[in-house]
Amino acid sequence: MAKHPETDLVPYLRGELPPAERERVARHLDECPDCRQDTDQLRELLGELSRSIAEPPAVNWARYRAELREKLEARRGRRAWWWQPVPLALATSLAGVLLFVAVWGVGRQVPTAGDPVAFEEAAIGRNLGLLEQYQVVERLDLLEEDLDFMSDLDGLAAGRPG
Amino acid sequence: MEPSDEALCQRVAKRDVAAFELLVERYQGRAYRLAWSIVRDPEDARDLSQEAFIRLHESAGSFGGRSKFSTWFYRIVVNLCLDHKRKRRWWKPWAGDAADDQGESFLERQPAPVTDPVDELGREQTMKDLWAAVDRLAPRQRAAVVLQVREELATYEIAEVLKCSEATVRVHLHRAMNALKKTMKNMEKR
Repeated sequence: MAKHPETDLVPYLRGELPPAERERVARHLDECPDCRQDTDQLRELLGELSRSIAEPPAVNWARYRAELREKLEARRGRRAWWWQPVPLALATSLAGVLLFVAVWGVGRQVPTAGDPVAFEEAAIGRNLGLLEQYQVVERLDLLEEDLDFMSDLDGLAAGRPG
Repeated sequence: MEPSDEALCQRVAKRDVAAFELLVERYQGRAYRLAWSIVRDPEDARDLSQEAFIRLHESAGSFGGRSKFSTWFYRIVVNLCLDHKRKRRWWKPWAGDAADDQGESFLERQPAPVTDPVDELGREQTMKDLWAAVDRLAPRQRAAVVLQVREELATYEIAEVLKCSEATVRVHLHRAMNALKKTMKNMEKR
């Protein structure tokens, strides 16, 4: 006999099972007297529960809604001190300043005129894109060496007696 | 034509006060009864259901419309009630609902109650006992029973409210019903 469909019995009684599952449970119930008995007890229990739903103490709904409105207002009031336009604008400005300092201020040293190394580093930093194209820079260096060599040759030629 | 709950909720998201008040009027009774069915205290039920409306007011914009409004709102109510019960467990460890949700409930672990010396119990008393037994179920089992019996939600809707699978809801209901059947048997023996 197949496994007892214990957890399917409530959905079965409520007509929630898809046809194939319903068919499977029904076949099992035909063959299994224990599950049949369980189903009968369950049907009785669900009926008793539905018939005997307890009701909570009555409520004055107008008062209930008035209380709700008060609570809602109180919640809004609690939030309002920082959600007002002026504090919000101040907070936004402060956040902007902090963001600016974080991005541009921290870890960035402004080179001074008396520190040529720092000034050069800053200049290199600005031309970082060029350094990334290292092959081009290397060729420029070689070209510079060629130009120096050629100017030396020109100097020699100029100094030679005609 | 009356606007649907879903349409009203969309208007609440745009801070429409009239839409909010209409939704409150439609759901105040259900929210209060549902909360009371879980926490069993009228004052707590009142506070928790009002808190649910405040949450609705604050987060109406997050209602995506994938489920029915009622299911979405019941989830808010049930979650608040379950949280409330969870918090109360810390200072009320002797309470009957201190059961592990995953395991057997408090009721399931108890021996059969002592037989009432009074043989003739009225039907009203029997029903009271039955619902008292519902009160002693583990919180999620109780919520599943209440949503099924009182709100007549289908298993898949209960799963949406409790944010779990349908299979888990079936297990909750199966365990709850087993515990309640034991109670009924004991009542019949009296």
